Amino acid sequence: MDDQGNQLLEVKNVVKMFGGLRANDNVSIQIEKGEIRGLIGPNGSGKTTLINLITGIYDVTEGSIYYYGKRIDGVKANVIASMGIMRTFQVARVFRDMTVLENMLIPAFTQGQSGSEAKTRAEELLDFALLTRLKDKQAKSLSGGQNMLLQIVRGFMHKDLKLYVMDEPFAGVHQSIKGIIIESIKMMNQEKGVTFLVVSHEMSTVRTLCNKITVLCKGERIAEGTMEEVANVPEVIDAYLGG
Amino acid sequence: MSMGINFIYGIMKVINWSMGEFFMIGAFVQYILLTSFLGATYWYVGVVISALIVFFLGALVQRLLIKPMFVGIIEAKMEYATIVTIAMAIFLRNLAVLIGGPYIYTPPDYAGPTQILTLPISGNRLVALIGALFLLALFYYFIKKSWTGKAFQGVAQNRSGVQTAGVNVLKYDMLAFGIGTALAGAGGALLAPIFLVHPMCGLVPTVRGFEIIVIAGLGSIPGILVAGLTLGIAESLGSAFINPSFVDIYGFILLVIILSIKPYGLFGKAEREV
Repeated sequence: MDDQGNQLLEVKNVVKMFGGLRANDNVSIQIEKGEIRGLIGPNGSGKTTLINLITGIYDVTEGSIYYYGKRIDGVKANVIASMGIMRTFQVARVFRDMTVLENMLIPAFTQGQSGSEAKTRAEELLDFALLTRLKDKQAKSLSGGQNMLLQIVRGFMHKDLKLYVMDEPFAGVHQSIKGIIIESIKMMNQEKGVTFLVVSHEMSTVRTLCNKITVLCKGERIAEGTMEEVANVPEVIDAYLGG
Repeated sequence: MSMGINFIYGIMKVINWSMGEFFMIGAFVQYILLTSFLGATYWYVGVVISALIVFFLGALVQRLLIKPMFVGIIEAKMEYATIVTIAMAIFLRNLAVLIGGPYIYTPPDYAGPTQILTLPISGNRLVALIGALFLLALFYYFIKKSWTGKAFQGVAQNRSGVQTAGVNVLKYDMLAFGIGTALAGAGGALLAPIFLVHPMCGLVPTVRGFEIIVIAGLGSIPGILVAGLTLGIAESLGSAFINPSFVDIYGFILLVIILSIKPYGLFGKAEREV
C-alpha cells in the first residue's frame, strides 16, 4: 500500500443522495494514522451514512474517499475489509446461530489464517473481553451488550487491521462492558497502532477517548477539533441546543 | 431437491422455481452418459459427472441472470430473481422438448430387485435412498465442519455483517446456486430409472421438495429428513387405507394440518432480521 505520509483516510467533498434527501453534503475529513477520531452530531446528521460510505456499504453520489492514498469509493465492502478497514454496526451484527468462538473465526477465514493460529488469537481476545466462559454458547444466547462486545473483538481478528470504524459502540451497553470496550480501543490503539473512527452520542466517553472530534449536522461537517474547541463553535451549540 | 431449494433460499433469500428443470437436466445427462459412454455399471460415476455439469450450469445461470440484481441497491431484488427462475424453468423445459422431443427415455437399472429382511424392494429405490442419505450427510458435514461451510452460515445469518468481515457474498451466492442446483442434478441422476427421463420429469420432485420444506420449516437440514419420512408415511397410509388414486392429496392434507398447528413448519423458526 502506498504510504501517504501520516494520512490514513481522506474523505473528499462527499455527497450522498437518497432520492431527494442529501444525507451527506460535501463532507471532507482527514484522519491520521494512530488517531482515535470521534464523529458526533444530532440524530439524522449523516454519521452512519458517512461510515457506510467509508466501508463500502453505500456508493458515493459525488466526491471521493482515499485510504493510504488509494481511492476506495466504489470498492466492495468485503474488499475494503480485506484492506484493513473493519467496522461495527449500531445493532450488533453477529451470527446468531454460531457459537461465540465461530463468530470470531469468520474474519480469520477470509484472510486464509490457519485454523490453529486463528483459534489461539480468538481465545486471547475472548479472554481479554471476559467472554471465554461463553465461547461455546450460541451468539443468540448473549445479551445485547455482550453481542456488541463480541462484534467489536471479532473485528480485532483481522491480522492487518489499520482502521476500525465503530458505529455507536457504547449505546445501550452495561457500564462494565463499556469499560471493556474502552480498554480494548485504547489497547489496540497504543499497542498495535490501530486508528479508530468512533461514532457516539456519549459526550463524556468521546471526550476522554478521542484526540479529535468531527461534528456533523444536517449532513454537513460543521466543526472539527478537540472537544473543547468544538464545544465553543456556535453552529455546534445551535445544533445541540436549538437556535 | 429439498436441500437444494433450502440452501439457495437460505443464502440468497430467493426461491428457485427452476430446480425441477435442473433435476431434469441431471437426469438427461445421466441418461446420455449411461447409454453412450459409461454403461449401467458406472452409474455412480454418472451421478457425480451429472452433478458437476449441473453445478457449472447453475453457477453460470446465477452469474448471468441473477447476480446483476444483487449488485448495488435494488429494491425487491429477491422478487425479481424469483421471477427470473420461473422464466428459466419455462425456458429449460421447452428447450428439453426442442432437443429431446416429447419422449420418455428409460435409463438402465442401477441394481436389480432386492430384499431387506422379508421386505422386497426395488434396487433402484434402494440406491436412490442410500445416495440421498449420503448426499445429505456430505452436505451436513461440509456446512458444519469446513471453513467454507462456516462462511455460508455467516452469509445465511447476517449478510452485511459477514460482508464487512471480508466475505465476498456475491461469490458465495454463485457457489450456493451452483451447489443447490447440483444437488437437484444429483437427485435427477439418482432417480432417473424411477421417474424416467423426459422434459417434465422434474415437476413431481419439485412439488415434493417444496412440500417437504414447508413441513420441515425453512433452513432445517434434520427437518428435511423428518419431513420427508413423514410425507412418505402419510402418502403410504393414505394409499393403503383410503384410496391410492389420491396419493398426491395426502401430502397436502398433512401440510395444511402441520401449518395450522405450527405455522413455521416442524423445525422452522420465525425469522428475525437486523
